[in-house]
Amino acid sequence: MATLPEEIKAAMQGVIPSHVVTCAADGTPNATAISQVYYVDPEHVALSHQFFNKTVRNVRENPRALLWVISPLTLDSWDLEVEFDHAETSGPVFEAMDMQIEAIASIVGLKGIFKLKSADIYRVASVTRNVGERIPLSDIVEPRERA
Amino acid sequence: MAAERPDAQPLREQLVQNQKTIDRLNRDLARVSNEVRIIQQISNEITSTLDLDEVLRIVLRAMERVLGFKHSMILLTDLTADRVRVAASLGYEPSGVGAEVAFGEGVIGVVAGRRKLMRVAHVGASVAYFRTVRARLEAAGQVTPGGEVPVLPGLPEAQSQLALPLLVKDRLVGVLVVESPKPNAFDELDEVLLGIVGNQAATAIDNARTYQMVESLSRLKRFFSPQLAEAIVKGGADDPLKTHRREVTVVFLDLRGFTAFAETADPEEVMGVLREYHAEMGKLILAHEGTLERFTGDGMMIFFNDPVPLDDPAERAVRMAVAMRDQVAALTGRWRKRGYDLGLGVGIAQGYATIGAIGFEGRWDYGAIGNVTNLAARLCGEARPGQILLSARVASEVEDLVETQEVGALTLKGFARPVQAFDLLQLKPRA
Repeated sequence: MATLPEEIKAAMQGVIPSHVVTCAADGTPNATAISQVYYVDPEHVALSHQFFNKTVRNVRENPRALLWVISPLTLDSWDLEVEFDHAETSGPVFEAMDMQIEAIASIVGLKGIFKLKSADIYRVASVTRNVGERIPLSDIVEPRERA
Repeated sequence: MAAERPDAQPLREQLVQNQKTIDRLNRDLARVSNEVRIIQQISNEITSTLDLDEVLRIVLRAMERVLGFKHSMILLTDLTADRVRVAASLGYEPSGVGAEVAFGEGVIGVVAGRRKLMRVAHVGASVAYFRTVRARLEAAGQVTPGGEVPVLPGLPEAQSQLALPLLVKDRLVGVLVVESPKPNAFDELDEVLLGIVGNQAATAIDNARTYQMVESLSRLKRFFSPQLAEAIVKGGADDPLKTHRREVTVVFLDLRGFTAFAETADPEEVMGVLREYHAEMGKLILAHEGTLERFTGDGMMIFFNDPVPLDDPAERAVRMAVAMRDQVAALTGRWRKRGYDLGLGVGIAQGYATIGAIGFEGRWDYGAIGNVTNLAARLCGEARPGQILLSARVASEVEDLVETQEVGALTLKGFARPVQAFDLLQLKPRA
């Protein structure tokens, strides 16, 4: 069990897409970009299950997955080894994710079509900060500087 | 100097890391305590006024000054209860005031509908992602093209949005929104701070609106009966302004000899007499819970059983008419000394009328239309000074209560057949 550092929250706001790598039962790997990894608590994250796709199918066969998340503040990135724990279809985590999806879907006229089927909860097994990938940016946005 | 132990390097790194964490926590703590102190000032300001626009202005200004939110707006609920409307904004050009958001539409609409806070760090990216999915669905024929929701109020280039439901107990008052064109502009601490301001704002807005309602009620009461004013302000399903049909007792009265008096007397004297007369009649209308539909010079039309249903509308109508006759008799005594010969004529009828708002945008009256109002008016026209004429329907309603005398069938304008009428002599002494 690992604990997520406070700074990683910025990487879990959906600003920069995250990546998820899973394996099918036969070992076939799958890597894909996803819009957001949701922070649940220091030991759990959640992924949205909206459409049945390879990631959803794979983790139900083989729960281990690797996530790569990037902070938009510093471009620091982290690798998370995670394990699919369970799927939630109600409760505060599900509702927060469902609300966001409903809000954005309504803006593009996809209300009701784009629906959260479940909030897939993953237990965090390890967190590794990737060093040497940090790219200094002159226009990095800090939360307290709102022009 | 002693050689560094081989395991000292990671230890030192750990110490540096710990120090950094402590520094960050200290910074956060300083920020929180500073902002909490200023929030206390805000709350003092917003609870110091009952003017709704002032409350909204103070909230938005303080959020800019203290919390650094440069684009903020407050949307309030209305009676429809399925949408919120922009009531005030800061940092928008144009202001967007008046724009509506239906529940479930966009970030604001979803927050209003679910009564839960929402923070979106990158609206643009999320929308772009969903648009791509939409294009794929359209290509696959699963979604028909077009049909995007209308433009919602807010910055067109907003990336970060934080929207908070304004709740008083569990009742939605409105939504407080802050936006930024930059992504990831708000964090968890902002949620907390905005939540504190939002709580204060919700209560202040609710108080101001209640006050506004009481104010408008007291204004309405100057024009309508208190019952009607209350029913209008309450609105909803029982809104009396909606056209409805109901049995009412209608009382018409006017002063005999008034036209001649008005032609010969000074206008100031005429107004003086009218004021005295209206004041006394007004008291009696209120006391008997009548609804004053209108008055034109010396004439008045009052009805009973609407908007507030009454058990005994006919009884109240005749009791009021008798009291009015007595009151006017006292007034005419004084008027006669000044040389004016005036007497009260009253007609009372009962029947179904269509009641509701009559008029046009900008000038509405609460009116009753039906045969019953014509009949009461014609009976009033036939009444001699001091006479109260009842229709047969009213006379039968109150036969245990009053002594009447049949005056025979009257031929009245607008009525094909002669109409039976009864002269109300006096109230029977109570048994």
